[in-house]
Amino acid sequence: MSDTQETVNISDIQSERISRAQGGLIEQLAGDAYSSAGFSRLLVIWGITLVLIAVGLGVTLYLIERSKQSLVPTAPPPLPIAANPSDIPPPPQEVNLFLLDTTALTLVPVKIERRLHAELTKRLSQIVTALIQETPPNFRNTIPRGTVLNEAYIDSQQTAYLDFSNHLTDGHIGGTTAELLTITAILKTVFDAFPEEIKQVQILIEGEEVKTLAGHLNLSQPLHLFQ
Amino acid sequence: MKNLRNQKLFPVGAMMTTTNSVAIQKTTRNIRKTVSAFFLSILAWIIALNGPAQEPSVRFIDVNGGTIAEVSAQRQAEQIYLSVDAVRQIFDLEMTDQYNHPRKRLTLKTKGKQIRLQIGNSVVSIDPGGQTRTLPTPPIIIEQQPMLPIAFFTQLLPELNNFEALYNPSLNRVQLRPKGAWTPAAIGDSVNWAIIIDPGHGGADDRGCESSTGLLEKDIVLALAKQLSSISNEQGIQVYLTRQTDTKKTHFERIQVAKRNQGQLFLSLHCNASFSPHEKGIKIYLNNPKGQLRFPSNVQSALTGQRLKILAQANFLKQSQDFAHALQTELNFLTETPVEITELPLVALSEAYMPALVLELGYLSNVEDLEKLSNSEYIAGVAQAIVRAFQRYISSINPPVPSTLLE
Repeated sequence: MSDTQETVNISDIQSERISRAQGGLIEQLAGDAYSSAGFSRLLVIWGITLVLIAVGLGVTLYLIERSKQSLVPTAPPPLPIAANPSDIPPPPQEVNLFLLDTTALTLVPVKIERRLHAELTKRLSQIVTALIQETPPNFRNTIPRGTVLNEAYIDSQQTAYLDFSNHLTDGHIGGTTAELLTITAILKTVFDAFPEEIKQVQILIEGEEVKTLAGHLNLSQPLHLFQ
Repeated sequence: MKNLRNQKLFPVGAMMTTTNSVAIQKTTRNIRKTVSAFFLSILAWIIALNGPAQEPSVRFIDVNGGTIAEVSAQRQAEQIYLSVDAVRQIFDLEMTDQYNHPRKRLTLKTKGKQIRLQIGNSVVSIDPGGQTRTLPTPPIIIEQQPMLPIAFFTQLLPELNNFEALYNPSLNRVQLRPKGAWTPAAIGDSVNWAIIIDPGHGGADDRGCESSTGLLEKDIVLALAKQLSSISNEQGIQVYLTRQTDTKKTHFERIQVAKRNQGQLFLSLHCNASFSPHEKGIKIYLNNPKGQLRFPSNVQSALTGQRLKILAQANFLKQSQDFAHALQTELNFLTETPVEITELPLVALSEAYMPALVLELGYLSNVEDLEKLSNSEYIAGVAQAIVRAFQRYISSINPPVPSTLLE
């Protein structure tokens, strides 16, 4: 008698273990209903609901697609020759970003890959934005965090105007060395990417010319680097 | 139930026992390793302590920062001693010496003078004249050789040779320079020098750099400027500060102080910072629109008001470079890291119609520099070095009568 009771008890314990092992999601759905009947019922209800939602989505998408086709029934299929070259994503190109090697204490070129825009000013924007954002391990970015490049222009005298948000000045740590590193990193990155197209760079803050970033360097004029 | 549990537990228990024994073996191995490493490090430390200690050396430099000689020294009871031969290397190649062992008396004959010393006695007698001098530390015997205290080289010998010596005990450097050659009296009373000291930044809005410990650039430079003012006035050099307190001053206001007082030199004091904590040292910057960063030449054609302000320093570039070299020579005496000079377009010096420099005293982002800049003795040393640089620069413009002391 005691053997039979013990067998029953053990089977109960095992089934309870299995039901507990179903995982958190089912446990949440089932709430306190651990009984197998309640659990099966819930499973069926949710299964049917999910199937209905999937079918509904499928039908909706099919109808939307069909309505699009019906709007331009006479449009000829696009010819490969007629495709706009700018729509084809360009292959990634290598760009040098000048970042601080904290051991050598110098700015060094760090290669990254970017799909660059064909248009010059957009490409300039892309590269300077990458300089602001990228900080690979073992290097320090010399642009204060939170800085945004608002706009970039290039004039007929090959002067690039880079308009930064005020974080470049307000968030700067100060000191002539740090200020020089920030400006030099921008100039080196720009001149490395555009050796022919850009001859000097004028730094602007929120659209205005500024005398300095942190009280030392004179930024009132466009700058280039002594090679 | 118990039986079943026991049946199930048995193999698990066996596994646990195996795992435990492996873990215990690993732990034992680790403990052995740690204990051996500990004893090995203690052994290495004992060997290092008893091994040959690195002998200090003292570098003697001339007035322009060039090395005269680097002589090996001995350290005894925190005092530095040099050999008798060092006198020959530094002051007089033809010096002769005689040591009387039984009486422990040392006699040096140099440049017509006889200097008599006794081991263990601080009093030194000098003939002819029968003068006596007292050294702070007496000569001693080290390894059976008579050794002279560093004061003999930084006080007595310079005095007898009409030099003055600057001693930097932290770097073991001694600079020898002609005595009194650069004082305003030697330069001439007709020269009335006015120097403008510009403590950078100031006020609540413009704090400059800040260290991790909360030390502010604006406070360090103001403290130094006040010390500079005090020392310079004692030396007969008139100093004007662009700010006396922790107040915000515009660049225009600072330049007005320089113009109003007809300044002949402009020195802007700052503290540096870098994105790397390893960068350290003193740096000197001078304003040159054609420096490392430069304004393009085609833009310079238009002489607008802004351009004229930028070019204000153009006529003083050579004097600024001379002043920078004077400052570099003096400050190099204080620091192991050589002082660098960099030319850049600087807004802090624009519109200053006089030789002008920016002096970056050290990096608040570097631990070693921060420690120095927090030390009032170091700041006092910097102030004295800057005043010596003023004297050096002024004398280069108004050379003093060649001193026979240099012969």
